[in-house]
Amino acid sequence: MAAKDVALNPSAQRRLLLATLLLLGACSAPKPYQMPVPVQTPIPAIVPKEAAPPPSPAAPIEEAPKPQPKEAPEPPSRGYKLGPAAQSLVNQAHSQIGRGELPGASGTLDRALRIEPQNPLLWIELARLRLTEGDPQQAENCARRALLLGSADTTVRLTAGHLLADVMRAQHRDAEARDLEDQPWMN
Amino acid sequence: MKRPWKRWIPPRKALYLLGGLLCAGILALLGWVYYLDSVVLNEFKGRLWSVPAKVYAAPTDLYVGATETADDLDAELRRLHYRIGDPSSGAGVFRRHGGDFELNTRRVRFADELRAPVRVRVHANAEGITGIEAADGTELPLFRLDPLLIGSVFPVHGEDRIVLTPTDVPQLLIKSLKTIEDRRFDLHHGVDLRSILRAIWADLRAGRVVQGGSTLTQQLVKNYFLTDAQTFGRKLKEAIMAMRLEAHYTKEEILVAYLNEVYLGQDGERAVHGFGLGSEYYFGKPIDELEPADMALLVGLVKGPSYYDPLKHPDRARARRNLVLKELADAGIIDPANAARSQAQPLGLRGVGAGYVPAFLDLVRRHLKRDYAEADLAAAGLSIYTTLDPHAQAAAERAVTTQLKRLDTIAHNRSKGGPLEVAMIIAEPTSGQVLAVVGGRDTRALGFNRALDARRSIGSLVKPAVYLTALESGRYNAASILQDAPLEVKLSDGQVWAPQNYTHEVYGSVPLVRALSESMNLATVRLGLELGLPAVADTLQRLGLERRPELNPSMLLGTVEMTPLEVVQIYTALANGGFKARLRSVQSVVDEDGKPLKSFKLEVAPAASSAAVYEVARIMTQVTERGTGRAVGARLHITMPAKTGTSSDLRDSWFAGFTGSHVAVAWVGYDDNRPTGLTGATGALPVWLDAMAELHLKAWQPDTPTEVEDRWIEFSTGLATEPRCSADAVLVGVPRGTALAARQGCAQPASESVVDRVKSWLQKTLH
Repeated sequence: MAAKDVALNPSAQRRLLLATLLLLGACSAPKPYQMPVPVQTPIPAIVPKEAAPPPSPAAPIEEAPKPQPKEAPEPPSRGYKLGPAAQSLVNQAHSQIGRGELPGASGTLDRALRIEPQNPLLWIELARLRLTEGDPQQAENCARRALLLGSADTTVRLTAGHLLADVMRAQHRDAEARDLEDQPWMN
Repeated sequence: MKRPWKRWIPPRKALYLLGGLLCAGILALLGWVYYLDSVVLNEFKGRLWSVPAKVYAAPTDLYVGATETADDLDAELRRLHYRIGDPSSGAGVFRRHGGDFELNTRRVRFADELRAPVRVRVHANAEGITGIEAADGTELPLFRLDPLLIGSVFPVHGEDRIVLTPTDVPQLLIKSLKTIEDRRFDLHHGVDLRSILRAIWADLRAGRVVQGGSTLTQQLVKNYFLTDAQTFGRKLKEAIMAMRLEAHYTKEEILVAYLNEVYLGQDGERAVHGFGLGSEYYFGKPIDELEPADMALLVGLVKGPSYYDPLKHPDRARARRNLVLKELADAGIIDPANAARSQAQPLGLRGVGAGYVPAFLDLVRRHLKRDYAEADLAAAGLSIYTTLDPHAQAAAERAVTTQLKRLDTIAHNRSKGGPLEVAMIIAEPTSGQVLAVVGGRDTRALGFNRALDARRSIGSLVKPAVYLTALESGRYNAASILQDAPLEVKLSDGQVWAPQNYTHEVYGSVPLVRALSESMNLATVRLGLELGLPAVADTLQRLGLERRPELNPSMLLGTVEMTPLEVVQIYTALANGGFKARLRSVQSVVDEDGKPLKSFKLEVAPAASSAAVYEVARIMTQVTERGTGRAVGARLHITMPAKTGTSSDLRDSWFAGFTGSHVAVAWVGYDDNRPTGLTGATGALPVWLDAMAELHLKAWQPDTPTEVEDRWIEFSTGLATEPRCSADAVLVGVPRGTALAARQGCAQPASESVVDRVKSWLQKTLH
């Protein structure tokens, strides 16, 4: 299978992919959570990671690998955004919340998650809704899910992090909230 | 001359006696009438007002980039019973030119919106949807197709019906029904003497009962109490009840009840009652889209639903339909030209196998009971929106049907009892939405729902939980060396248990990654005993098993029994980075006015270390790449963690696995537990694979968690390596900074990024 043939570590793969994409000028947005807008292209969203070209002729076994920097560079920011379909559903959920139709909004976000289940932005929306509904426990779980999915993106990280802190305060866990906001990656 | 009869005048006493008897008789008769009155009225009231909940599949969202190909869309529209034609001619019509679709949707109620018919254009190709426009050319970001009606549920008695209100029913159908079955319906009081006399005359001429002469009201009463005996007593009872009904209710109420009640045929174990369900069952379309020929067929069926069954006896059904059409023309209900045209039409029955999903409906019923107040569910006219994905359901049904036909020829012990059985569930792991359920080989029959109720030994499907426990303990990683060596365990009952590998071989020192991917029993039992049975049981419960498994050493090899539904729940947490998503089949329930009852919320909760879950899932990808499930990797070509399961003596065959978009489990076995001769790889795997191959799968490719780094190790030795150094290299996740013994010159660098720091914080602060 493909993964076996790939000699690059994941972040290197990502860099390679990014470079390839930039070179091709095919897409301007990052990989997995983006709507595959140019549907004409026969490459499904999953292919890039697996189809990364194998390294050029295998180095002789004796040769030591090139020294690598101890601190890996920041992976390229994912720049998460919602596709137009999920975005229109989020807009709809916002107006439902505005009208006080919380169950309706919940259903609308469900639909959006069916379209982009792994997009952290949707989990942030869901966390906010749960908080509005008065369910801080679920709000926390959703915010954690968002932070886990979207930690590579500064905006998502900060948004999810501050939301999680709010959720903690709503549960009178102020010390934990402060500790979170003091984390270096939150600043 | 004495008149002889004078002698016979009874004495006064006898007269009194006779009078008394007469009075008693009249009283008894009145009592009986009163009794029948209350019986029939109770029945009528109970039926008339209990409008069942309509149950819908999840509506398909179309958007640019959706993986719905042109052919998928075509199939979906046909499933929704859209007619091909000119979309300007009416609702429920579509036209396709290559990848361009033009459609006119029906008036439809969604959970959150009542949508009037609307015309849209959808463009699709072999990859997915490429564009959607409204009639005026505006681009739409998103368009919902009608939700597929998959049945209706009476929360109380669990029957299934499509209930019509007077306005739902086309006038032509009502007129046709009266013309054929009861011309004087609007004039009589429940019993029509004229038609009874006519019937008696016809019966006398024929020398047997050929005509009933029953009014619609009498037929309705007969339907309520379902006996077919043609006795005088029953006829009298029926007549009295019919007259009582007419005294209490209007003609319209009785007619509507009749339209909803009349028996129109049999669909397996399901009785088809009412014109609404009849229309769906025979033609696959809502009643307001029926053509005169379709109506004539349904009306003709009333006389003998099994004798004129159009699916079994199309010639009889056609003759009956054409006779009805002729009578309608003679009576001036339709014009003769129309009748002639309709008579020439084919029966127009829908294809077999569409729509009815008893096993999924069963799950819906249970989830309703679990999550909604019974009083709320008793309200009339509810709509239940479910998570069913008709495409996935159809794929699972096809896979089950095709593969069982093949397995039937190779399974052992075929003739010693019931046939080989099967169950399958597909779900969306992130949100826990159940997409498809198959409860047995006959996908359209109610009955034993194996997907929910067959509790069977899960075999090696339990192993990921054992290895997850090991990885979470921090004492093991994918490269740790385990001992696959014989052992004997003394059980609490004094017996000695000596497990063996499936191959009856012993592998000695093996790295953990290999022990799991090749499902080694001895290594697993040694590992599990070292971790402790309670720890493994805890893991199963954390992942979502709702009861405590019996703590027996053999549970480590899967003697623990679970239903396919329970297995899916556990694998969902593995598919979901250690977050448990409660499985659900109900998305929302709204009342008659479109107001939601109570939203059935998506619930997620952290259940296991996301790092350890990543590590175990990463190992499980080896199962489909080189292990017991490699047939999957060979066909689907995407990274996919999975596990085969086989119980002792080959009684149960299991396969469970997940991608980024789907988690699914399949089981194959006999109901009476006799050995099948099938392993997880030869029985359940092909079923699973056939179904999954039809879905639009996303690869499993989560970000590597902070505390974990992806390293290449040798599958056979566990030594750190690089693919360029060894053909045997596999990618595994190990705790960051793990010192791995390495092949010389084949080390890997470590790194830490902000992503890692976030994730390590998340892990640390988890409660």
